[in-house]
Amino acid sequence: MADWDGASDGDLKAAGAEPLSDGRRGLRLKGWHIESIKRPILGSLARQELEEKLGTSHLPEMVFGDSSLFLLHAGTGIKLHFNAFDALKGWMQEALPPVEVPAAAKWKFRSKPSQQVILDYDYTFTTPYCGSETSESELEKTILEDGCCSLHWEDCDERIDLAVLSMKEPILFYDEVVLYEDELADNGVSLLTVKVRVMPSCWFLLLRYWLRVDGVLMRLRDTRVYCSFASDDKVKPTIIRENCWREATIESLSVQGFPSGSAAYADPNLISQNLPIVKNKTQRLKIPSSLSEHDGGNFNASKKQL
Amino acid sequence: MIRGKRGREEIGWRRSRGTGEMSDLDRQIEQLKRCEPLKESEVKALCLKAMEILVEESNVQRVDAPVTVRSPLMDPFFSAFPPFPSAISLPRNVCSVLVRLPPICSEICGDIHGQFYDMKELFKVGGDCPKTNYLFLGDFVDRGFYSVETFLLLLALKVRYPDRITLIRGNHESRQITQVYGFYDECLRKYGSVNVWRYCTDIFDYLSLSALIENKIFSVHGGLSPAITTLDQIRTIDRKQEVPHDGAMCDLLWSDPEDVDGWGLSPRGAGYLFGGNVVTSFNHSNNIDYICRAHQLVMEGYKWMFNNQIVTVWSAPNYCYRCGNVAAILVLDENLNQQFTVFEAAPHESRGVPSKKPAPDYFL
Repeated sequence: MADWDGASDGDLKAAGAEPLSDGRRGLRLKGWHIESIKRPILGSLARQELEEKLGTSHLPEMVFGDSSLFLLHAGTGIKLHFNAFDALKGWMQEALPPVEVPAAAKWKFRSKPSQQVILDYDYTFTTPYCGSETSESELEKTILEDGCCSLHWEDCDERIDLAVLSMKEPILFYDEVVLYEDELADNGVSLLTVKVRVMPSCWFLLLRYWLRVDGVLMRLRDTRVYCSFASDDKVKPTIIRENCWREATIESLSVQGFPSGSAAYADPNLISQNLPIVKNKTQRLKIPSSLSEHDGGNFNASKKQL
Repeated sequence: MIRGKRGREEIGWRRSRGTGEMSDLDRQIEQLKRCEPLKESEVKALCLKAMEILVEESNVQRVDAPVTVRSPLMDPFFSAFPPFPSAISLPRNVCSVLVRLPPICSEICGDIHGQFYDMKELFKVGGDCPKTNYLFLGDFVDRGFYSVETFLLLLALKVRYPDRITLIRGNHESRQITQVYGFYDECLRKYGSVNVWRYCTDIFDYLSLSALIENKIFSVHGGLSPAITTLDQIRTIDRKQEVPHDGAMCDLLWSDPEDVDGWGLSPRGAGYLFGGNVVTSFNHSNNIDYICRAHQLVMEGYKWMFNNQIVTVWSAPNYCYRCGNVAAILVLDENLNQQFTVFEAAPHESRGVPSKKPAPDYFL
């Protein structure tokens, strides 16, 4: 893979983008502050704390609990962020029954030791997580306390503009952040990552949960979020989100003539289009109108906290 | 066991080897240390030699902490021919001590996973083989970029210094697993054919399943099995085969300790979960101090469990080039006093790839 030294100064300048300083990863552009934070996996102590917070004794082998991606809009104070903790909360809530691997099925017939416990949690860490959103604005907090119209997603007919995204505009910022990963004890892969790219006209991100249980199942839960930059960055941004969940058993794929060996499925991109869609939904972020009048003063305050 | 006989033969073999052959092997080791793979024909020859050595090893391979038995015979300058009539069967380790200076210490290493440059860091902090005695607990290959060079270097050291380095089998030393997790593809990419993968996976079948250090520390890649209560039961396993999907051999390579009472089954397949009481009873019946195993990533490089009855050692720092974890090796002195040496991944300058910044892609 070729080294990428980042966007050229010329491209950044032409777009009016300001890269973050002090070795931080990200930039400021058209009223947005976009930043990724990449840290090592949690150590034993932090894992213990997380287990207690979530109320579980099982966590993915690799939890990048201190890593995240966030996108903060100055004009409204809204913040979209992506982190392992919220994703694992989603896993706990969904609590799917465990997927059985072929070896485990065979075990049922083997002689068993006298004392044994069968763990039956969802070891695939499948999550419905599609990001978190909060408001950095004091005004919004007041509204939330009042219990009326807060920040939320509502179904819409708009679609993410793929034509715009297919244009090879210069990429001003790009990063991929792994949120958690588990090797399923060498029986496959469970991986939650978020990728982002920022161009002069828009930003786009893909949050992907990817599961392969060797010989059994493939599951892909994609969340794509898109925002086209408005001419005036004080205006409420239009943020579109598409959820697409796909899933297929290896058996059903092999019936269609696809390979049944896991070696063929190392890259989800190669097979994703052949996995049937089980859920598809497009939504738009509903931003309370009071927020658009927000003057960005609080953004400056929150900038200091970042 | 025919250890004594083996020991004697080994001495003879070593002495009779021509300098030409020796320097060939030394040259190959130097080449591998620069992370340059061997030629296919060299790999084949190396594997054949390694097979001769490994086939003699027990399923519970004995490993000595340095300078074990105090006796006048232990004079390191004693000649290569021990003054015993050939009818007397000497334990292998005794013969070994006779022909060389004792190592400084013994070090136990966990998973490496093809992270060649990080293994070089390991040797940097742990000392070179043969000055240091090494025991590697398996999972040499898969996931990292340099499984070929990593495994071949360890194998070449094994052939060069058979009783200074012990390699036991991990669950990744298997035909099936390497086809999914990288080693197969890497061999194909680097050699244009799968011959090297075949030679290596054939050698995997000969790797020992466990090691016993001074009769006190039992070492294995994964853990215990409900089918095994004594070390003798491990000794009777016919190990020269692909790792089976179940049974004692599978469990030794796949199991994990877990906070359960007795044995646990995970829905996700091979190996068992075993609790503290299982470890207590195993250690007691086999009169061992503790179990040393690998197989699971631990952020701090090592982790004790169940009141210091079992320790996990992990030796792949910054696992998969993105976890940011440190790695550790367990260092034992001649009295089996233990100490962990923690080390970090090799600095970026000292390795070829990967690039720090991911190349941007126009993903949709």
